[in-house]
Amino acid sequence: MAGRAGGRGRRMMSFSVEAVGINRGDSLPPSIQQPTPLFPVMEQKPLPLTGGEEAEYLLALKQEFRGAMKTLPFFIQPAAARRDVERYSDKYHSNEQTDGLTDWNPVWKKFPKELRVKKPSRDGVSAAVSCSDRLQSGQKKKKKKVKEKEEVLLKLETLQKKEEQQSSEEEEGEEKKKKQEEEEAEVEEEYDEEEFEEETDYIMSYFDNGEEFGGDSDENMDEAIY
Amino acid sequence: MTAQEVRLCGLLLREHFGEVVEKVGTHLLRGGAQNLRTIIHETGISLDLVKKSLCVLVQHGACVFSSGRKGPGSPTEYRTSCDRILRILRYPRYIYTAKTLYGDTGELIIEELLQRGHMTMSSTVKTVADRLTQNMEEGRCMDYSEVATAFAKLVETHFLQRCPPMVKAGTTGSATPATPATPGTPAAPVSTAPPTPESFPDCYKVPHMTLVGRGKRQLCSEEGEDQRNAKKARMDSQTHGDEGISWQVNFERFHLHFRDQAIISAVANKCDQTSSEILRTMLRMSEVTTSPTATCTKPLSANEIFRSLPTSYNIARPILDQYLTLLVDDPMEFVGKAGESGGGMYVVNLHTALANLARATLESVVQERFGSRSARIFRLLLRKRHLEQKQVEDFAMIPAKEAKDMLYTLLSQNLVQLQEIPKTPDFAPSRTFYLYTVNQLPTARMLLQNCYKTVANLIERRLFESKESKRLLEKSQRIEAILASLQASGAEPEQLTEVEEMITATEKQQLEALRLHINKLDSAENQVDESIFLIESYVTSTASTS
Repeated sequence: MAGRAGGRGRRMMSFSVEAVGINRGDSLPPSIQQPTPLFPVMEQKPLPLTGGEEAEYLLALKQEFRGAMKTLPFFIQPAAARRDVERYSDKYHSNEQTDGLTDWNPVWKKFPKELRVKKPSRDGVSAAVSCSDRLQSGQKKKKKKVKEKEEVLLKLETLQKKEEQQSSEEEEGEEKKKKQEEEEAEVEEEYDEEEFEEETDYIMSYFDNGEEFGGDSDENMDEAIY
Repeated sequence: MTAQEVRLCGLLLREHFGEVVEKVGTHLLRGGAQNLRTIIHETGISLDLVKKSLCVLVQHGACVFSSGRKGPGSPTEYRTSCDRILRILRYPRYIYTAKTLYGDTGELIIEELLQRGHMTMSSTVKTVADRLTQNMEEGRCMDYSEVATAFAKLVETHFLQRCPPMVKAGTTGSATPATPATPGTPAAPVSTAPPTPESFPDCYKVPHMTLVGRGKRQLCSEEGEDQRNAKKARMDSQTHGDEGISWQVNFERFHLHFRDQAIISAVANKCDQTSSEILRTMLRMSEVTTSPTATCTKPLSANEIFRSLPTSYNIARPILDQYLTLLVDDPMEFVGKAGESGGGMYVVNLHTALANLARATLESVVQERFGSRSARIFRLLLRKRHLEQKQVEDFAMIPAKEAKDMLYTLLSQNLVQLQEIPKTPDFAPSRTFYLYTVNQLPTARMLLQNCYKTVANLIERRLFESKESKRLLEKSQRIEAILASLQASGAEPEQLTEVEEMITATEKQQLEALRLHINKLDSAENQVDESIFLIESYVTSTASTS
């Protein structure tokens, strides 16, 4: 501190001045009074970016990739902020957002057990491709239902076995019924999702409060993705 | 994990996976290995979301988990590293390389795998075939077998590899030595680093897969139909004989390819096209025999090189010898002579080449930022190692005052360092030599951090610009959607022009300017990534040799 008495004009530095090149009598550059400016003036302007086909293709690839990632189930939205007032339609909205992880069925073998996310089980049969337990049990349930109906039909068959023509008709009827059941099961699934959820009489788009209007336009791929 | 790397990783995670994954990811990066409860407690995010984020990170290979440090009973710990997340910057380059090597099919395979982290071969083939069929003309479909052959080719050349099978967390893996974890031992040996995919023998074996069919075209674009189709596809649940084997992109192999490309283009710029072709041949011949961390390729005899040259290059044998001698004598030292048998044994010095390329990058950075005379001083110091102030002025042939100024600017930017050599043990300033020097490796590391900071700034600026004009962007997207639907349903031109006029001329200009800015920022990111690749390769190559 003693050496820094302001205004004395004596310069004492910890290294030799001659060796570094400040000769006697040379004035030092003025000392800095304030922080350096945030955007200092550049003496040398930077080079322009390389253009060309490859650069443009890479640019397009990058923007498409970003856009695609936003639509994949890996893009996790934070929990929607609670509105100031609870709305009646909130009850029917909350399901839409938790569907992210159901689109993607990870191979749970590769993940630690504690990360398993339990899907809310639906009444309809869930149809996942990966061999998760739920799928197998779902298939078993379906097979059981079909089997029960098959048994009933078989009984009917044996009762009416006397008349061969009728039994052959029954077989055809069986197949038709099986197909119908499968279709009904499929159709029931869709109905389950849309209308029987939460036991309302209205379809889910009734509860749209216009917030998502125009938000996502998935069909238009010409627009650049930012 | 420097602060700049963590910041850049956070931004990349935010752009590709959302803000929740960003928070979890940056927390893991800053905090090292942590278990689930700690993460939930410290980030304050709900359990469900944290679980999902961790699943996403594990799926994409950004996070690895292992059994806890305290032994098999403790909760699993999760660990992230910056490297994997920083690769996201390079994805467009990987996809483009796959396109140049294997066409559109290869491009889409790599793109799908990059988007999904890892997938089984059958699902990849199906998705890619569907996408290709979408873009083909009516009536033509892509056959699964074509896509499968492209996939097999990618595996053959090691661009794709199997994901390593997980050692179940909680079991003492047979890999770790069987030391019982007594409570007294301090820090029982942590389980060995997660096994690299290459340590498994089946890494590059294509599984036998029964998958016959053609790509499906989605005919109608209504949402309802798509859902029904998707449901039907899921209910098929065919097994194709390759369940449980998932594939991921082998980034190291792509990096080797980029390195080779960089060396070849450097030679093409410095010497001529024929020399670069010779070098390309040499590198191609040594692709399989050279390990990724090798200092130089295996020696190749001039006879072999002559035989393997592409047939379009009809150079005579003595000319080839002359070219090789020129390459050996070149100060860049890309090629070295390793012996005289077989007409001369030649090697490609990979690490030297990388060091020279990094040096060229450093020199060009100094030149563009400080001018060509400062660059002269920098190059001088790189070659002559240690110089005094006076010697710098003499060798660089620059007047003393200006040389002093430039040296001090470089010193303040930390590109040049001062080395003190004392004559007496008390380091008295009048009796000490002060020498200026440049250390290539630390300077390269510093520039690498600068590059990360640059890319992070570019991304932030781009996000800022998009946010500023969010309202305008949304409006234009809405109008595009309306236009598209009107056109699809066949409206008259007056309606279309009416809708188009909803955007005013000034808004159009603004949108145009915005698009230009964002494209520039994106393109700049890609180019900075090229420098990042060069410097990173150089730094890792020195780390492996030392």
